[in-house]
Amino acid sequence: MHRPRLAALFASLVCTATFGNAAVAQEGEAPVAPATELKLVVEPASLALEIGETAQLSARVEDAAEAPVEEEVFFFSRGRRSVTVDAEGKVEAFQPGNFEVIVRVRRQESEDGERGQRLSVTVPVVVAKPALERLVIVPRAGGLFAQTNLELGLEATDVRGGVQAVAAGDARFQSTRPAVASFDAFGQLFLHAPGTFVASAEFEGVSAEQEFEVRANPVAALELVADAATARTGDVVRVTATARDAAGAVLANHGVPVTLSVAARPDDDLGAPAGATIAQDGRFVAETPGLYTIVASTGTASASVNVRIEPRDVGAHFELIGRGLVSDSHTSDLWVWEGVDGRDYAVTGTWGADGDAVFWDVTQPEAIEEIARVRVDARTVNDVKVSPDGRLCIIGREGASDRKNGIVLIDVTNPRKPVILSEYDEELTGGVHNLFIDGDYAYVLSAGRRYDVIDIRDPQALRTVAKVELDTPGHSIHDVWIEDGLAYSSNWADGVHIVDVGNGLRGGSPENPVPVTDYAYPSGWNHATFPYKDPLTGKFYVVAGDEAFPYGLNIEGSPTYARGWLHFIDFSDLENPSEVARYQVPEAGTHNLWIEDDVAYVAYYNGGIRAVDLSGELMGDLYKQGRELAWMLPTDPEGFIPNASMVWGPQPHKGNIFFSDWNSGLWCVRLERDGGER
Amino acid sequence: MSAALAFAFAALTSTQPEHREYFVYVACESSDEVYLTGFDGENVHVLERVSVGVLPTETEGAHGLTVDPAGDHWFVSMAHGKPYGTLYKYTTGANELVGQVELGLFPATMQISSATELLYCVNFDLHGDMTPSSISIVDPEEMVEVERTTTGSMPHGSRLSPDGTRHFSCAMMSDDLFELDAMTFEVARTLRLTDGMGGVPPRRDDDHHEAVAKPTWVEPHPEKPLVYVALNGVAQVVEINLESWKITRRFPTARGPYNLAVTRDGKQLVVTYKGAQSIGVWDLEAGTELGRVPTSRRVTHGVVLSPDDRYAFVSSEGVGAERGTLDVIELETRTRVATAELGLQAGGIAFWKTEGVATR
Repeated sequence: MHRPRLAALFASLVCTATFGNAAVAQEGEAPVAPATELKLVVEPASLALEIGETAQLSARVEDAAEAPVEEEVFFFSRGRRSVTVDAEGKVEAFQPGNFEVIVRVRRQESEDGERGQRLSVTVPVVVAKPALERLVIVPRAGGLFAQTNLELGLEATDVRGGVQAVAAGDARFQSTRPAVASFDAFGQLFLHAPGTFVASAEFEGVSAEQEFEVRANPVAALELVADAATARTGDVVRVTATARDAAGAVLANHGVPVTLSVAARPDDDLGAPAGATIAQDGRFVAETPGLYTIVASTGTASASVNVRIEPRDVGAHFELIGRGLVSDSHTSDLWVWEGVDGRDYAVTGTWGADGDAVFWDVTQPEAIEEIARVRVDARTVNDVKVSPDGRLCIIGREGASDRKNGIVLIDVTNPRKPVILSEYDEELTGGVHNLFIDGDYAYVLSAGRRYDVIDIRDPQALRTVAKVELDTPGHSIHDVWIEDGLAYSSNWADGVHIVDVGNGLRGGSPENPVPVTDYAYPSGWNHATFPYKDPLTGKFYVVAGDEAFPYGLNIEGSPTYARGWLHFIDFSDLENPSEVARYQVPEAGTHNLWIEDDVAYVAYYNGGIRAVDLSGELMGDLYKQGRELAWMLPTDPEGFIPNASMVWGPQPHKGNIFFSDWNSGLWCVRLERDGGER
Repeated sequence: MSAALAFAFAALTSTQPEHREYFVYVACESSDEVYLTGFDGENVHVLERVSVGVLPTETEGAHGLTVDPAGDHWFVSMAHGKPYGTLYKYTTGANELVGQVELGLFPATMQISSATELLYCVNFDLHGDMTPSSISIVDPEEMVEVERTTTGSMPHGSRLSPDGTRHFSCAMMSDDLFELDAMTFEVARTLRLTDGMGGVPPRRDDDHHEAVAKPTWVEPHPEKPLVYVALNGVAQVVEINLESWKITRRFPTARGPYNLAVTRDGKQLVVTYKGAQSIGVWDLEAGTELGRVPTSRRVTHGVVLSPDDRYAFVSSEGVGAERGTLDVIELETRTRVATAELGLQAGGIAFWKTEGVATR
């Protein structure tokens, strides 16, 4: 039970004003009172509440003689999810923090049409954070050993039962026996000698004590081996430390912390950085050729191993094969397929234009031919997809003049004469930015809010059979991709979500999607996702691409400078995904990607089209490791924005790489291996 | 203010000081732009184009526009974000972004009350099931949503009574007119707009009424206790007496009446005909249409009137890549006197200010 703490009950806020007169006394000022001056008096002037507590505000309007004046007063809160106020001025607190309740008088106009001065009072409301009740020091599993150091865990519980982890650096630690154990200013615990000590911690007025025993460090010697003496930049080398006791016996499951570190001697001693990382689980990767010494240590024992890192030398280049210029509008996504007649075709969308989908014959990629256009009621046809049998194309609409948007189904049995079969906008009126076709179903984004699963077996009788929407606050979605019965959605701040839509992993189906797992990263830029299983290591990665325009998107006239990178998330353990690597080209930003045969083809907007070697285990920054195979900046002086690369999306097809560029249309290149340095 | 804009202002104010100059903002929903335009009595100029929104490669949908009573800020509602729509606040003239707040699904038309100084914006929400949506009440000073009040399906046409104490909106897909108390934020009363209309299914209580009238706009009379509602689905404008809370007159219109504006003297009503590429000018006392004026583009959308009642500024969306336009129509002669090409799907429109000296 907490006593109400109505602060400043004796105080009040006064706001004065004059009708038809611009003069107004500020809050707290001594009013200079013309005859018509009014004052809004609110009591109390401020509130200090605890969660769940209520308080009553009173408000009255007075004239200069402090006589009451009948005026309409109303209340509102500027933090209604944390503090509410009703029409009678009753305030209730729900969340801790600093908030404001506004008390205001209806503002009127004088007879000559002049606006009366405002009468409005701001009441600060401070809602106290629940006081901490208990602090607990969490012991390290496995015990403590002399001549090692570590960080203790701390857990605080407040009076309302809320539990929070406390960072060691935020608390104040002390040891009763500094000769046995001591803490540094950052909360790190250094264990000096065997014995017992009591650790005490203090955080926000609560404290905890815990007695610990420091055991003698049983490790007398260490051995360190690497699974490769020589490797290339970007290759992950694993080191293993073996501990032995004074008798030379191997210590299995000893539980003693062993620290790994690395020293570098790069081949290039001209000021180049020697980027290398050793993870404490033994994974090592280097960005720069040279000799690296990896050191393992615990107590007085240490061991080291040298690893020689050679240049990766995976040079290749893109050979331009052909292109189809689109200069009268921006170009969006593409899809390339083999038609029912055995020829190869592509379809591209248009952006901020007339609602066109453009069809191409790409059978001879050196002579790409525009063969048809389909125009729908839209300003943007952002996404285009074709069914695996090459007969059905579905395009998404945004900016329709009737605001119904939705999707349009097109018969592309003869891509030279595409025929619109039907339109479908059931619950898709907010715009369809992306979609995917898998079997008898289309997975279609609805207004950036969710994706709907639509049965497309009968184009004249489409049926929405399921909807997949997150339940997080402010959730949103940008893309969905289906592979092997798993739907991979890209959800901006909510990251990647994997849903079983027929894989069997969770018993899901298109009509009964079942969530599997998810992973989010802090930037909130998650825009596109592509799954990848490395055949060499068996590791399962989900590659999540960013989209970011910190300097804006230039629709006309000048280039755009996007930002963002690819995030490689190791989903081998579905329940414990971890982000292990990135591919980040400086001064540019990612868009869509496609992975085939251990090579990622990346549409890198202003950074052009890129190819990246994904072979083997991944760790660290793939760009700095020299894993990039090739890049090309597609530009055209006749482009919609001349001479400005803005690569939208790639797709490998029959040995060639097709990609769309926002400013210049459809391109085809081939990745030619050079077998040497880039 | 940019140098170009300053020059344009100077040109407008120095070359014809004897004329009035009118400044109007227009939102373009499919290119996510807001245009500041100036009309000098003969020509309408684009003074500045402002890109709005946060998702550059997606169409967020700049829909509603309003200027605060002091003329210091303009506000634009964006239909969708991640995924909810957002209200943005800009300074007038300099057109600098100074605030934003997330609202509901497809925030659309809005107005600021002179009585409460709060902004009332309908969440149009045309996505999915036609369930009741809401009105967001926003403190435009701090850009926080202070309340959200549930009304009907696809609410639109957010307008306040002249004294700012009553807020009106119509629910397009539930055929209702809502009156909100601007200070308690509660629905004061509701009127079924198909009342008295023959052949309309009776009202059901489950909010699954099949919309017939499809009201898209409500406009209060400046002096009388009347509001006018555009019934887009049946080509009518109806007059509602606020004292009896009943429909008192029906005006048959051209196809697709959409937005409305009443002259300050309360004598004329201007109706945009979305389906007829024109506007209609009505004599409210006689209840007769004085004339129709074709607009320069298809899909005629919004209208605001100059405070001197001389001109109607009309936005037209266009179709596809066809640029939207702003037409200036002289009400006395009922002729289109100027046009400016804007961005894609020009819709939301707000009058900012008049400068200069009147010539009559």
